Amino acid sequence: MTALGTALDRWLGRGEASITTPPMDGAFRPNDLLDAAASALQAPAPDDLAVTALGLVVSSGCSLLRVNATGGAPVASFDAEIGALAGLPDGGAAVALVDGRIVFVGGRYDGKTIAARADVQCITVLAAAADGALLVANGSAAHGSADWKRDLMEKGASGSVWRLEPTSGAWTQAAAKLAYPNGLLEDGDSIVVCESWRCALTRISRGAVGRGARVLEDLPAYPSRLSRDADGAVWLALFAPRSQLVEFVLSEDRYRRRMLDEIDSDYWVAPCLRSGRSPLEPTQQGGVKQLGVMKPWSPSRSYGLVARLDGAFRPTASFHSRTNGRRHGVTSCLTSEGRLYFTAKGDGLVGAYAYKGSMA
Amino acid sequence: MSDRPQVEPPLLEMSGVGKDYRGVAALKDINFDLRRGEVHSILGENGAGKSTLVKILSGAVMPSRGEIRLEGQQIHIAGPAFARRYGIAMVYQETSLVSTMTVAQNLYLGDEKFFNRLRGIYIEAQQFLQSLNFPVDPTALVVSLGTAKRQMVEIARAVRLKAQIIIFDEPTATLTPEEKHHLFALIRRLRQEGVSIVFISHALEEALEISDRITILRDGSHVVTDEAKTFSRETIIRHMVGRSLTDDLYGRAADSRKLRPAGEKVLSVQNLSMQNFVRNSSFSVFAGQVTGVFGLVGSGRTETARIIAGVAKRDFFHGGDVRFDNKSVRYRTPRAAVGDGVVYVTEDRKGDGFFETMSIADNIYIGRISSRHSQGLVASMSETRALAAEWTRKLNIRALSSDSRVIELSGGNQQKVLIAKALVQKPRLIIFDEPTRGVDVGAIAEIHHLISALADAGLAVVVISSYLPEILTLSDRILVSRQGRIVEELSPNDATSESIMFAAVY
Repeated sequence: MTALGTALDRWLGRGEASITTPPMDGAFRPNDLLDAAASALQAPAPDDLAVTALGLVVSSGCSLLRVNATGGAPVASFDAEIGALAGLPDGGAAVALVDGRIVFVGGRYDGKTIAARADVQCITVLAAAADGALLVANGSAAHGSADWKRDLMEKGASGSVWRLEPTSGAWTQAAAKLAYPNGLLEDGDSIVVCESWRCALTRISRGAVGRGARVLEDLPAYPSRLSRDADGAVWLALFAPRSQLVEFVLSEDRYRRRMLDEIDSDYWVAPCLRSGRSPLEPTQQGGVKQLGVMKPWSPSRSYGLVARLDGAFRPTASFHSRTNGRRHGVTSCLTSEGRLYFTAKGDGLVGAYAYKGSMA
Repeated sequence: MSDRPQVEPPLLEMSGVGKDYRGVAALKDINFDLRRGEVHSILGENGAGKSTLVKILSGAVMPSRGEIRLEGQQIHIAGPAFARRYGIAMVYQETSLVSTMTVAQNLYLGDEKFFNRLRGIYIEAQQFLQSLNFPVDPTALVVSLGTAKRQMVEIARAVRLKAQIIIFDEPTATLTPEEKHHLFALIRRLRQEGVSIVFISHALEEALEISDRITILRDGSHVVTDEAKTFSRETIIRHMVGRSLTDDLYGRAADSRKLRPAGEKVLSVQNLSMQNFVRNSSFSVFAGQVTGVFGLVGSGRTETARIIAGVAKRDFFHGGDVRFDNKSVRYRTPRAAVGDGVVYVTEDRKGDGFFETMSIADNIYIGRISSRHSQGLVASMSETRALAAEWTRKLNIRALSSDSRVIELSGGNQQKVLIAKALVQKPRLIIFDEPTRGVDVGAIAEIHHLISALADAGLAVVVISSYLPEILTLSDRILVSRQGRIVEELSPNDATSESIMFAAVY
């Protein structure tokens, strides 16, 4: 009966199969705090942040830039775009390039390059583990990180998490079959992974490959990178909002296949880091001003969102750049010296918001 | 406020009137007088004796002692028919119309001729209703009418019977502000025509607005009678409860409260739809917090709550999702919801809340046996009594005994029985729909304390209310509903009555 009921629900689009998105309320109550934040750096497509001996650095295209130094030369430049970045305990940085290589800048491994693995070609996150290893998230086994939209539209779940020993270059798989792991955080003996396409955070225990426990799910936006601050709070960047329209397209296989085959990816009915710049895009961001208040009537495909989670990964506060904001497509965030830094990749900007300790 | 000249002697006079129930005095030697063409409000807490007093006047209850004089002549109101003969009519809080009959049939009920021509009755009723400016179709079945129109029919019946005294018992409890405005205009018109009005309401502002004089009762005794203009809200409350409730009730500044932090997300309503009542509505409810839901009548608040609790059904197609404890749920009956710990405390306590002719104990026990904590198929008398004793004490339900029928209780105590019936089900999420409608100020404070205590104990609490001060006082977060969806979330620390109303209207 249950199986029949589930099948019926799926056919009718009811229950679990209904096309819904979680509300942005409670800790996710919208505000304009990201738009109120100061601009720390303007750079093309800033993506990932890390704290190193040189200070706060951000990846932007093929370059590594200092955030709080204006007009200076890049810290480092590479022959391929940077896919992920991690600050190391010795003050150096590990840089993952989009072709799968990992290059060390500064610190004890300065100049070292670890060759790409054939099955790890979409590195989305690097994180330093307490034991000196490097945690590596491979977003997809099928597509590169620049092709993330296709991975979502194909409902990809081929991501994996690896432990890499920088000294020996040995790779050990920690988890597989993840739906685009896009954020990593070591939490005691386990690793918490953001699964972007499941809109959830999953805990992976050591030695339990392929199985994970949800620590947070039903997020209203697609999660990206994670960081922890000195107070033990966790900061989560969310790079695009979920919408019923995209959920509907994800449920319509034939339509979606045709869209992937025939339409330029910029104009897909899919989330993006910045929308509203072309009249060819799907209907979006429509609104009407009523008594001085902008009332949206059409959902946006892009948004800016950073969430603060407590030690148990429960949302306690959030920072927004709404539909009409200018800080969309937040791919990473971290705190440094009492300020929250975030990369608004969609709008080419690193923002800094001064917060006073607990935001709860 | 009226500046009509005082007419002496009084139209109606009650001297030393008292009423005992099984030796317990419900009304103690009351002196009350009503002048011709005045609006006289009777105010008091639950159990103060207001209802008993007007029931004596309407012939529903016989006094144990005292005398009643009408135009100087002593009268004995032996029953409702006698009251009607003396020109005394009562408009009940919950209307006493026959719902399966038409409006016209109800108007002429008990006054039918031997041979009735229905068409003639309809024409006569139409003319009569038009003369009162009541937009009610005389051929409509009462069951199809809203509360406001039912009340119009009830009032029309009283006027048709050429009542010289009309008693209104909580007439505004279920009315929208616009309907209330119409009712007050009618009362003023009746007053100008020389009809005397006895007005009972828990809404003190209404009493102050409409009354010429106010009488306050407390614990069955007369406290004070004076011109309405001599009272303020504060003095009325002090007379009613014998203490100041300022700190307990709405006087407390919302911003001085420490809001409770959100616990686990217990409920997530996603894109819920039900015809035109609920339209793509989404919101979350968290443990350990009171989530207040404000909206105008018709904004879909109650319908949303009823879908969540399995009382109503969402749209068959694209009806949205309700996730309780991160699990998609679709309750087909309230029992299934109660089984999961989702309990809805209805706004219509008499219609949906309890069995009013059954005892307090039986009603509370019914709540218990419909929950997942019930064991066995046989009703246990000892458990019934124990539960009744426990919850009567916990919620301070004022009744002669737990065997008293719910219908005999005042509105506030009935509401407490309803809440007890819900709490014995050990809910994890409890939804209160208009928890203090038709409840006196003393009981409001008690119910508010109870709701706060439930949230402090970690329950997820939702309070749906049309009363802004209540929402501002109770809530840790405020959701505003408009046209079938949640349109705004506000923090009580930032929200004002104006900002909430703005969100509810625009």
